[in-house]
Amino acid sequence: MWEGIGLPVRALTWIGTAMVVVSLTAWPAIGQGGAGSLPDLVEIPGGPFVMGADAARDPLAYDNERWSRAAGEAAVDVPLFYIARHEVTVAQFSAFVRATSWKADPQAAAGPPSHPVTFVTWPDALAYCRWLEAMLNGSPDTPPQLRQRLKEGWRVSLPTEAEWEKAARGTDRRTYPWGNEPRRDRANYENTATTPVGQFACPECPYGLADMSGNVWEWTSSPSQPYPYDLSDDRANLDADALWVMRGGHYGDGPRNVRTTTRGAADPGARRAFIGFRVAVHLTASPASSR
Amino acid sequence: MALTAGLLAISLLPRVQGNVALTRSFWGAAALLLAWTVVLAVSARKWNWKPSLVLAPPRAQHYIQSLCHLTIYAYWGWYWRPVYDFAPLIVAQLLFAYAFDMLLSWSRREAYVLGFGPFPIIFSTNLFLWFKDDWFSLQFLLVAVGFAGKAFVRWERDGKRVHIFNPSAFTLALFALVLLATGTTSITWGQEIATTFGLGPRIYAVLFLTGLVVMYFFAITPVTVAAAATLFGASALYAAVTGVPYFVDSEIPSAVFLGLHLLVTDPSTSPRTPFGRAIFGVLYGLGVFALYAILGALGLPTFYDKLLCVPLLNLAVPGIDRWVRAIGDRPILKRLALNGPLGRGNLAHMTAWVILFGAMTTLGATDGRHRGDALPFWEEACAANRPRACERLLRIEASYCADNAGWACNELGRHYVEGRLVPADEARAFGYFARACEGRFQAGCVNLLDSATPSVANPRAIDLRLLVREGGPNLLEMPEPELYARACSHGWSFACGKASASR
Repeated sequence: MWEGIGLPVRALTWIGTAMVVVSLTAWPAIGQGGAGSLPDLVEIPGGPFVMGADAARDPLAYDNERWSRAAGEAAVDVPLFYIARHEVTVAQFSAFVRATSWKADPQAAAGPPSHPVTFVTWPDALAYCRWLEAMLNGSPDTPPQLRQRLKEGWRVSLPTEAEWEKAARGTDRRTYPWGNEPRRDRANYENTATTPVGQFACPECPYGLADMSGNVWEWTSSPSQPYPYDLSDDRANLDADALWVMRGGHYGDGPRNVRTTTRGAADPGARRAFIGFRVAVHLTASPASSR
Repeated sequence: MALTAGLLAISLLPRVQGNVALTRSFWGAAALLLAWTVVLAVSARKWNWKPSLVLAPPRAQHYIQSLCHLTIYAYWGWYWRPVYDFAPLIVAQLLFAYAFDMLLSWSRREAYVLGFGPFPIIFSTNLFLWFKDDWFSLQFLLVAVGFAGKAFVRWERDGKRVHIFNPSAFTLALFALVLLATGTTSITWGQEIATTFGLGPRIYAVLFLTGLVVMYFFAITPVTVAAAATLFGASALYAAVTGVPYFVDSEIPSAVFLGLHLLVTDPSTSPRTPFGRAIFGVLYGLGVFALYAILGALGLPTFYDKLLCVPLLNLAVPGIDRWVRAIGDRPILKRLALNGPLGRGNLAHMTAWVILFGAMTTLGATDGRHRGDALPFWEEACAANRPRACERLLRIEASYCADNAGWACNELGRHYVEGRLVPADEARAFGYFARACEGRFQAGCVNLLDSATPSVANPRAIDLRLLVREGGPNLLEMPEPELYARACSHGWSFACGKASASR
């Protein structure tokens, strides 16, 4: 999709490439898979998955991944949603900036076009989602299934923390999207810079998503709160200073931070060379209002 | 040549070198002066004429006013550092002013009278308007226009050929008109100057005391007293009728208070009699009062109110003098010590001013808290549909949002979603919520996700440090219990509980 997908990857063998193609088509998807203007969205079926981790099962787990005092992890039921196969690229974000008067950091558009966009704040990411939703609503190329979802009130946004984790680890409690052991041929980590989105093939990944480990941290639509994760997404606490969860670790991290359960958090105004995002389409929960 | 060299020397300072446009404006001004000097030298040689210079004895009108200006700069700059950073640029304007005035005199084959004259002109001009570094060439033009106006726009008055306009007020008003007409106020620091002037905690008292010195020496007391009384009276009348203050957070804005001490009080361009000066002051007060409303209604920056009417008043001076002569000596004028020549009765007028200022201070119209400082006051006034209260609430919130108070940005976003105070505008609302969120105001972030029913929350301590500053500097150092106590006194009911809990 977009510019990144379909680029030949130097390190891959023909067999590996064939496996990627098989993997990418193994899950139902809507949107364009090539370098078109629409996102390549992968359907993640509704149902429960196991969220969280503790040191008894995963020695690398941080304390904030533990579900509760009583349990290290718990089953969470996540309704069906769609998530982009790739992180939003510099080219895609630049198209948004060009098309709107949104004031983004000039560094966001300065990277190589096929790399994940960075130097984006949390509001920048949501502004992009908002623009993309308007584009999808107005574009004749929008697949009928997606158009119907949007008509029904589904929204383009950032994935929630639970959605992100389910998309990354599937339903079999994986530590990494490809399994339980770190593999440097599957993700961009312990490195010095970003790589083009989708450069690392991950045929073993549960839903065929790329870069769920490493490359850049990805903003989510969940505020940073201690577990247990609240299905209403914990948006009722309006008095705390805002911190929003990001997931996936980045190119410079070690294996511990690129696990599927690692929880990072950042100031929503943070613009960093290692924070980007990917989009999701879902039915949004209404946040609470109080004063 | 020495003045031009001085200008070039200042252009080598890091303050100037740090901005290419600023450096070029210095070089441009120096090149202009140099070219003019060369032309003049060639012309003098050709016509066998020698430029002359006369040393004038120092005039109190110049050096005392200048010292008063410097006092104000020192105090203002203490609370707003850009003033001190701007000092080399003021020195540069002085050098330019002397050189320009000198060359202008010699070009007209007149001897140049060297004194302190340019000091009060430059100092008073810079108390009201600076062009930003990228546009600093216009600051030199501002100075040049002021001196050209002084040299060329003259009339006969009491048998003497004198300049009509207060030189600084003339050029300020002219440039203000152009900036307003072209919508280019943002190339100046005018708004910042007007708002930062009140950062000093006792700015009214400082201006009052400094003004007393000017009043003592130059008998301009009736101008200031009449202007202040008019503005104070009109403000009070408006507040009594409408229930809200006329000027948002003061009875007389501090920058206007400065204007009625050090801008409109040029003795050379004021009426010749105490009564005439009192009328001049009343007209200035009414002019500022009316211009504030007119500029506000047109959606233009209101801080120009104190500048625009001065040249018109200068033009009215002969008329005022004639009218005063026609009235003749009236008993009431005698009782008010407004008859007779200037100077007589000045101490009595100063006493009246001390009493008036004391009364204004007692009534909370000068330093200290003003009811318009409290945002809850404007929220309630807006809810009660008081005149212009909602418009002011929006303006105050916009100003705090610009200062990164997340709470204020979120409130603005909410207004643009609800469409009650302003036409609904989803894109603007999103922009304000984004700004609130980037300021870590959680409700703003939540509203970015879904603004159908906007989330609201109370201001955080970091917001209150701006919201309850009462026109002064941000309260970054104030302990939280004191901060919440102050917020409570502003009408933030949630803060009362926090204040008592933290005691």
